[in-house]
Amino acid sequence: MRKRAATVAARFVFLLSIPLLLSACAARGPFIAASMAPGARTSVELDATPFFPQDKYQCGPAALATALVASEATTTPEDLVPLVYLPARKGSLQVEMLATPRKFERLSYVLSPNFDSIVAELNAGRPVLVLHNYGLPTWPKWHYAVVIGYDSARDRFILRSGTKRRDEWRARTFMVAWHHAHRWAMVVLRPGEIPVTADPRSYLQAAADFERAAKPEAALLAFDAAIKRWPAEPVAWIGRGTAQYRAGKLTEAARDYAAAVSIDANNAGARNNYAQTLLELGCPRRAREQLSSIDAAALQTPLREAVSDTRLHVDAAISATTADSAECTFPVSGS
Amino acid sequence: MRLSLWRKTSIAILSVAMLNLGFVSATQAAIVDTSALVTTDREADLSTVRAQLTRAEVRAKFEEMGVDATAIDRRVAQLNDRELHQMAVDIQNAPAGGDVVWLIGAVFIVLIILELTGVIDIFKKT
Repeated sequence: MRKRAATVAARFVFLLSIPLLLSACAARGPFIAASMAPGARTSVELDATPFFPQDKYQCGPAALATALVASEATTTPEDLVPLVYLPARKGSLQVEMLATPRKFERLSYVLSPNFDSIVAELNAGRPVLVLHNYGLPTWPKWHYAVVIGYDSARDRFILRSGTKRRDEWRARTFMVAWHHAHRWAMVVLRPGEIPVTADPRSYLQAAADFERAAKPEAALLAFDAAIKRWPAEPVAWIGRGTAQYRAGKLTEAARDYAAAVSIDANNAGARNNYAQTLLELGCPRRAREQLSSIDAAALQTPLREAVSDTRLHVDAAISATTADSAECTFPVSGS
Repeated sequence: MRLSLWRKTSIAILSVAMLNLGFVSATQAAIVDTSALVTTDREADLSTVRAQLTRAEVRAKFEEMGVDATAIDRRVAQLNDRELHQMAVDIQNAPAGGDVVWLIGAVFIVLIILELTGVIDIFKKT
């Protein structure tokens, strides 16, 4: 049924386009120049971006290897095939394209779906991995490629794509294929890098996904950069605090959590982690102050369990000691 | 002694769920992962046990999709709960980039012509 509908739609669109083809009127002007702010750079080409010609259907591993190696990771498409290629789908899914860079100590970030965010990344020296659709929404032909530059004068995007090392695309053609792939684009980041057009929520989500598999030192870089960019975001401080905690730097962790609590007094996660750190620093009474204001019943499962667990330990430590250790004041970190 | 797919899947799901019962309390850390603090409420609703079931489900789907048995564990392990859920829901239909470039369809060419001649404009600033 779907296929038939697609065929009917295709015929309709085709018939509709014939008069336009014949008249060949109203060709539109350049796209890139019209979309750029006045005075912006007119061309960029990241020549040094590696190239891995793809095998049949395996543009996912090839494009991902291109982006990873450009971010100074060591890998090849062959290494990535077992991690991202789905034989029955003859392709690779976005979820795994995003998850795999974490294995190489890299973060993945999905750009906001507009032309400006791609150009901003290219200007910053980062190639952009895009999904294209060379079919219709109901009859898609998906393809991954890596944008390495643009040329405003010639109105072209320059790609590493498929078996072509340097594939030039008319800007509007590129945009049609991208638009019909939900304008999906990702970048691969070294810990500490943040996309030019990143928004804090999406970046911190990416950093939190990264934290799970990363070494504490790498997670620290990712959240440290977030603190510098968005000092008013409590999650950035919590993330750095947790990285410090995992690296065994309890005093630094306490300061970061304290900063998160001072920004957002209702942040139960920050208070819980702060309390746990205070407890381990020999300050269970200070820890209980942090926990007392949390309404555990209002929390979601993982956090609620953690809070009640921390409470138990804190109460046990209080009954086992007569006073907190002498040094239990941790000034809030500065960014 | 060949087990049906149904039985194999059930055994896989149950054994993972049971394994999980054993160490939920043991692995409980009082420090909360940052990821638990940035996800939306709906996502946080996925309980640990539910995530374990999803994991078994995704594992079975990878097998069905012809992923090499030696790679399945690594692929499941690198996904977080949110991603496992996306895979479980969408592995059949999510965009799978793979076709080579010269497979440009006739319909796509029409779309390009419509755009180039200004009949449709997909790039209107939103």
